[in-house]
Amino acid sequence: MFVLDPEIYRRYRDQVLALCNSFQRIGQRGFSDREIAERLGLEERVVTEIRCVAERDMYGLDEWQRAIEFKRRVSREWQAAALKRPDLKEPPKPPEP
Amino acid sequence: MAHLPEDARHRLRDVALKAGAVVCGVADAAAFEKHAPAGHRPADFLPGARAVIVVGGAAPRAGDWQASPWVLQTMGTTERIQGVGRRLAQYVEAEFGYYALYLPPGTESGSNPFVSLMLAAELAGLGSRSLAGPVLNREHGFLYWSAVATTAPLPVDGPEDEGACPAPACRQMWERERTTPCLSVCPIDGGGCLGGELVNGRPVRHSYDRDRCATRVHTHWIGGFQQVLEATLNEPDREKRKMMLYGDYFTRTLWALTYSSTNMAQCFECLRVCPAAHGLRPLE
Repeated sequence: MFVLDPEIYRRYRDQVLALCNSFQRIGQRGFSDREIAERLGLEERVVTEIRCVAERDMYGLDEWQRAIEFKRRVSREWQAAALKRPDLKEPPKPPEP
Repeated sequence: MAHLPEDARHRLRDVALKAGAVVCGVADAAAFEKHAPAGHRPADFLPGARAVIVVGGAAPRAGDWQASPWVLQTMGTTERIQGVGRRLAQYVEAEFGYYALYLPPGTESGSNPFVSLMLAAELAGLGSRSLAGPVLNREHGFLYWSAVATTAPLPVDGPEDEGACPAPACRQMWERERTTPCLSVCPIDGGGCLGGELVNGRPVRHSYDRDRCATRVHTHWIGGFQQVLEATLNEPDREKRKMMLYGDYFTRTLWALTYSSTNMAQCFECLRVCPAAHGLRPLE
């Protein structure tokens, strides 16, 4: 099993993220691992590992919890508006104990 | 070389629509070279590929769009359109005598696809990119895609001139508020995923945070599983580890993983508010 050197990961993570498809624009594609490897002077396999780890490492568990809260809130707001049922809106949070 | 019947395209479309697709188009395999990097083009998977047959369908029903994200995610729709793609690949080889490769819909590594099915749909003239991200069809809105590369010299379609995005309502909203429904519900500057604008009535997406989008689209999926696994391994308190592993988040994640692709997509909020994403026919 190929395990990436954590020091290499720390050094190149931001550059790889900036060059790949993690942040996208219409009509301007991100670079492939092979293209990034050529630019940074790394092996393609190393770039693939940096990218895969960075994709997972970009946001911590809190962001995953926020995702749940986001979906619940906006879907209920939409239902309340689309179905004209204000009662479906997310109730206000109870005060902290 | 096998002889390709003159009505080959017509027959393919018939087979696709009978199998459950709502649209079927053909992209020029060579057209991918301008847009996709080497290693992610049809000919990289099927040497000599001349055309890519693309089908779209299995859209959420109008009732699904009314439901909560937790119901919406159980539609299992990607599997249905994938079956149409597989059937077309079989049909091309059996009826026309040319090689046909069902292009794999999964990821090659990390979040990178083997071949972009959205690009295939665009090049086959079946839709165009929206500000929210997905390719929207002018008649049917948001669809799932499947594609087959083939050596058959099928007549090809070109990309469409005018897309479904922005819808007239979004143009009006932009004039009024300098935002659109999708940008407003998931703004990148407000902890969301999307940034963009309308320029001369066309969508220009400035930014899309794919990794944050993954926390929403795959909330209960592989990324979340890995996060909890790491947090649990780092947690010295045995009781706390138990709470993390037996709690709702991790349990839901395991359900999603074991149900496989019926729970793949778990966030639709940018499309839920999109006037162009739900097709043309209003329901009561």
